Amino acid sequence: MSAAVLAKVRPEGELTDDLLRGVLAPPRWTVAALAVTFAGTLGLFAAIAYTVTTGIGVWGNNVPNVWAFGITNFVWWIGIGHAGTFISAFLLLLEQKWRSSINRFAEAMTLFAVAQAGLFPLLHMGRPWFFYWLMPYPATMDMWPQFRSPLTWDVVAVATYLLVSLLFWYLGLVPDLATLRDRAPTLRRRRVYAVFALGWSGSAAAWRRWRIGYGLLAGLATPLVVSVHSIVASDFATANLPGWHATVFPPYFVAGAILSGFAMVVTLLVPVRRLYRLEHVVTGRHLDNIAKMLLLTSWIVLYSYAAETYAAWRSDDPFERYVYLEARPLGAFAPLYWTTIACNCVAPQLLWSRRARTSPWLLFALSLAVQAGMWTERYMLVVSSQSRDFLPSSWRTFTPTVVDLALLGGTISFFAFLFLLFLRYVPLVPIAEMKHLQHELARERDG
Amino acid sequence: MVEMVETLETVAAEFTTPDAVVLAARRVRALGYGRVEAYTPFPLEELDEALARPRPRLPLLVFLAGGGGATLALAIQWWTNAWDYPLDVGGRPHASWPTYVPIVFETAVLCAAAVAFAAVLLGSRLPRLHDEVFDLPGFERSTIDRFWLRIEDVARDEEPALRAALAGAVGLHGLGGAS
Repeated sequence: MSAAVLAKVRPEGELTDDLLRGVLAPPRWTVAALAVTFAGTLGLFAAIAYTVTTGIGVWGNNVPNVWAFGITNFVWWIGIGHAGTFISAFLLLLEQKWRSSINRFAEAMTLFAVAQAGLFPLLHMGRPWFFYWLMPYPATMDMWPQFRSPLTWDVVAVATYLLVSLLFWYLGLVPDLATLRDRAPTLRRRRVYAVFALGWSGSAAAWRRWRIGYGLLAGLATPLVVSVHSIVASDFATANLPGWHATVFPPYFVAGAILSGFAMVVTLLVPVRRLYRLEHVVTGRHLDNIAKMLLLTSWIVLYSYAAETYAAWRSDDPFERYVYLEARPLGAFAPLYWTTIACNCVAPQLLWSRRARTSPWLLFALSLAVQAGMWTERYMLVVSSQSRDFLPSSWRTFTPTVVDLALLGGTISFFAFLFLLFLRYVPLVPIAEMKHLQHELARERDG
Repeated sequence: MVEMVETLETVAAEFTTPDAVVLAARRVRALGYGRVEAYTPFPLEELDEALARPRPRLPLLVFLAGGGGATLALAIQWWTNAWDYPLDVGGRPHASWPTYVPIVFETAVLCAAAVAFAAVLLGSRLPRLHDEVFDLPGFERSTIDRFWLRIEDVARDEEPALRAALAGAVGLHGLGGAS
């Protein structure tokens, strides 16, 4: 069973060289890919500059649609981050051996996704340079933030999530940076890695502290993930709009987040595993496990859809009923609604078949469908409730502008750019952990 | 081989397998050496008991940091929203503690995580620019596939016994005088 987590056992030196190949001898396509995604990133910064210098009016937002693309993208990106922490932290606590080869990859994904997510609320303020007004600091205005609002919870939650993810990722990285320091071919690169490796010597005392600290960070990150998306759900659930305040929201958001996050893991893992020839480290067993998680979270999401619709139907509230039973499934939002159902609930049912679960490119296609579905779900949720609220006289349809689309596309580019940088400069499979895994498996084998 | 500088010196030995270094560590400890340290490319739980290390106090520190963060967050929220600048929002109580819970939790996690991270590094005297073991020839393989053992306070006349305990090492080095 556990042998399938690692296809073959090799001497440590050979394993090190193999896992460092992507960094020390990067594939030729990386430069081109970096250039393309960097161009997209410049596009993002152009859109940001235009938004900040001209004003939020360049987005399609207008009363009553005050939250549209910005919040949709924020929720979508932060959700994507969740599977990374989940794989890394939760599976570490459960001592799942299949986590070892993909955890760093997943954590990097988290970090970069949360960075994209953070851009949207910042820009949404209109005057992002005053973001510190959200912090309780003794201001000359003699005012304090209002902590009874989920929007202030969000500030703390997202900032905490980003920082804790960064610390967790970096702590796991330090021993491998030391390996790179000792292995890099040129003096200049050795020096750069040496600075980031912080003088790690791999002493037994340091390893012991590292293991305890890493375990504690995992233990802290696990409830953190659940709390962050629950707080994001509270942004909606404490409002009064029809279609926004079902009590199932927090767990429903968390499940949706993990679903979209696992989809992003597959989207990145399938091509990277192929391009970096890592099939022996990231085996069919990994894909199978991730696919099962996709199927499970897809069912939780399906249950949540059903639960909120049922609650709306039983509420006898005409506004709730209208949004859930007419506007979304039959009205102007029907295309989005049925796309969401098809991508998030119907398509993952393929994963009941083992053949589907271990077929990389089918999983890849499915993961793209799920990510699209999770995006349309958030968009539908954000926009439909605002554009169809209590008074038909205030109904308006939201249309995204070019700037809206440029920000969404730009963040996807920026995310890809950061991810490629990560692949280029850092070993994407944790080397020390793989050696540890080999050692443990050998120990189990020899009794 | 070992050069004599003073009566006490430090010896380092290099091994090729994790089992060899664990065995040597046990033997050296049995000889009564107290200041023994191993250097390995990946964490070896067996070394912790072989070297008889005390439990780090890290979990307690992290717990205290979490508690401190939670208390601070609760105090800030209560003082700002209920005492210094009470704001009537729909007639709700000013000191509505349930609304403080999310930020209390997040701040606790943030402080605990920051302290955990800092304690791992500072507890191991990191970050540092240099360590005397880095000067050992071939030590750079300790992060790849070699396992080192360092024994401090070795007297000259104990050398034969120590050599026997370190049988199986592919290299022995003296690091010079007492540290």
